[in-house]
Amino acid sequence: MKSIPHLLVVDDNPADVILVREALAGSVHRSRIHSVEDGVEAMAFLNRKEKHANAIRPDLVILDLNLPKKAGLAVLAAMKAGPDLRRIPVVIFSTSRLSEDIQRSYELGGNCYVTKPGNLDEFFAAMKSIEEFWFGTASLPRQGE
Amino acid sequence: MNSAGTKLEKISAGEPKAQLRALLVEDNPLDATLVLRALYQEGFDVAADVVQDEDAFTRSVRANPPEIVLADYNLPNWKGMEALAVLRREGLDIPMILVSGALGDVTAVECIKQGATDYVLKDGLTRLPEVVRRALRERHEHRLRQQAEKDLARKVDELARSNADLEQFAYVASHDLQEPLRMVTAYTQLLGERYKGRLDENADKFIGYASEGAVRMQVLIQDLLAFSRVGRTDAACASVDCNAVMEEVRQALGSAIEESGAAVTSANLPAVWAERTQMAQVFQNLIGNAIKFRGKEPPVVLVKAEKTGENWLFSVTDNGIGIAAEYADSVFVVFQRLHARSEYSGNGIGLAICKKIVERYGGKIWLESFTGSGSTFKFTLPQGTENPQGARP
Amino acid sequence: MNSNEVDILLADDSQDDIDLTLHALRTENLANHVFVVRDGEEALEFLFCTGPHAGRSFDYPPKLVLLDLKMPKVDGMQVLRQIKGDPRTKTIPVVLMTSSREERDMVSGYELGVNSYVQKPVDFGEFRKAVKSLGLYWLVTNRPPTVNSKPQAAKQGQ
Repeated sequence: MKSIPHLLVVDDNPADVILVREALAGSVHRSRIHSVEDGVEAMAFLNRKEKHANAIRPDLVILDLNLPKKAGLAVLAAMKAGPDLRRIPVVIFSTSRLSEDIQRSYELGGNCYVTKPGNLDEFFAAMKSIEEFWFGTASLPRQGE
Repeated sequence: MNSAGTKLEKISAGEPKAQLRALLVEDNPLDATLVLRALYQEGFDVAADVVQDEDAFTRSVRANPPEIVLADYNLPNWKGMEALAVLRREGLDIPMILVSGALGDVTAVECIKQGATDYVLKDGLTRLPEVVRRALRERHEHRLRQQAEKDLARKVDELARSNADLEQFAYVASHDLQEPLRMVTAYTQLLGERYKGRLDENADKFIGYASEGAVRMQVLIQDLLAFSRVGRTDAACASVDCNAVMEEVRQALGSAIEESGAAVTSANLPAVWAERTQMAQVFQNLIGNAIKFRGKEPPVVLVKAEKTGENWLFSVTDNGIGIAAEYADSVFVVFQRLHARSEYSGNGIGLAICKKIVERYGGKIWLESFTGSGSTFKFTLPQGTENPQGARP
Repeated sequence: MNSNEVDILLADDSQDDIDLTLHALRTENLANHVFVVRDGEEALEFLFCTGPHAGRSFDYPPKLVLLDLKMPKVDGMQVLRQIKGDPRTKTIPVVLMTSSREERDMVSGYELGVNSYVQKPVDFGEFRKAVKSLGLYWLVTNRPPTVNSKPQAAKQGQ
């Protein structure tokens, strides 16, 4: 990717958002990380509504499932239903190992599913692997302006 | 002596008698006396009320419930059988014996069908004491049985509630406990990395202990959950070929086998009626232990089975470090470890899980071992293509 | 191999690219269960259990489909459209791997629901790196959909 990649993290646990930032700090991809705490704010960010009127359109969304106000799967469904949001890859990043959560995520068009590891090293490795694949190997449609 | 409601005095002499509180429904004073005497002569110390109509009867059972009712069939103002209706109405479970003049067999049987406990003819009063004894005995046994059933129902209820509590605990442990634990683990590790060498000399050590503790807790909770989930799976029992299970287990333990140069052999094993994954767990835990607790030489593990009576007797023998006889029982206890964490890894739950699984199918598991010369774990499983009792929940 | 135990379905008509891909996967020990098809028609027969693959079951889909765009008989975009359009197959992770540099192809791919789109690097070394990266990501980091997946080996006990 030539330009700075933008990552939107949707997670209601600020501790996990910090872990994501820590994991990607200093990476060659120099991703810009944005975060929102609930599903409603996620949609506002993506649709550039209200206080997010000037929000950048992210190149990748990291989505937790257990969100207040609007659940992760509902955000996913809304994204994949809209004409321009649907092309943004969504990585479900959740502690849930339940097969129904995994299955439903794929059914709603989630691009992939990564379980949040319990220990630090694995968490960092997973985040770095996500960043490396999506911003290093894969090609993404240009989003930002 | 015979007005309604008068208590007849007891005449006591000689040996102690069995006490009996009785209510007589009888209008003829002589008959009443004969009844009481018949009882007295056979060892009853009777305190009795005598009544002749429904009102008096009702008042008496309310004021002083008897142990037995002796009723004449035909009275001028009443019918003896109607006493039953009063007893029912008052919610009293008291046996009633009909003491009557000639009473056709058909009528007698009819009365018993309607709820009289027994009947005695007035010219056969010698039978009365035995009849009374039998009636009281049966009533007593009936009450004992009822109580036992109530106790059982209560215990079943408590057990169901206890199980529900345990399931909820397991759920809380799995979801709700792990999340804050994940935070503690991640951030103590992050602290350790970020501030290594930058705080005072003890800080690294303290953070290290906290971090290790948190990681150990994560594993412990996962192990506990695995243990609690035994017996609560959705998979059904089927005929399981243990040779095929051994193949799976060999694959799953592939790297451990390779690293240690282990030789794992099994003689021709039978098929058992069980859940496949649980059988795999038992074999994998036993063989995995055999490999882990090896001596200086590469582990040699042999798995055999033979028929003994109604069961299959499996044995897993190894040439490892063995287990002292005094620990033969405690090895099967949850989290019971025999070695320091620095010597051998693991939480000590593998054998507890094996025991729970084997016992679920009605089998037993035990250890035959000598320190320094290897261990043999043996367990039994019932034979048959179908477990007739069904696996216990 | 049992065609119900396939991990990766590789659909490509270029023998060079197939060789390179398999080699890269092998170095990561990911090449044990790769099934190769050389045109879009056979890719569809495989995934929809028809024709020569009628014996396959929908219950054991591959964990990943690597799909080239330009293939004979049926092209990659068509295959993708069918996979993502059918409830029996739409949850299978599909990665379009193509030499096309057209932004249009990429956008269409994502719009049709492709799980990701990777441009085949021209350089051999870069190609290998890309395959290795995507293999590790989709087979190790990612959790595939769990519909009737193969029974797992029992976890390591103590």
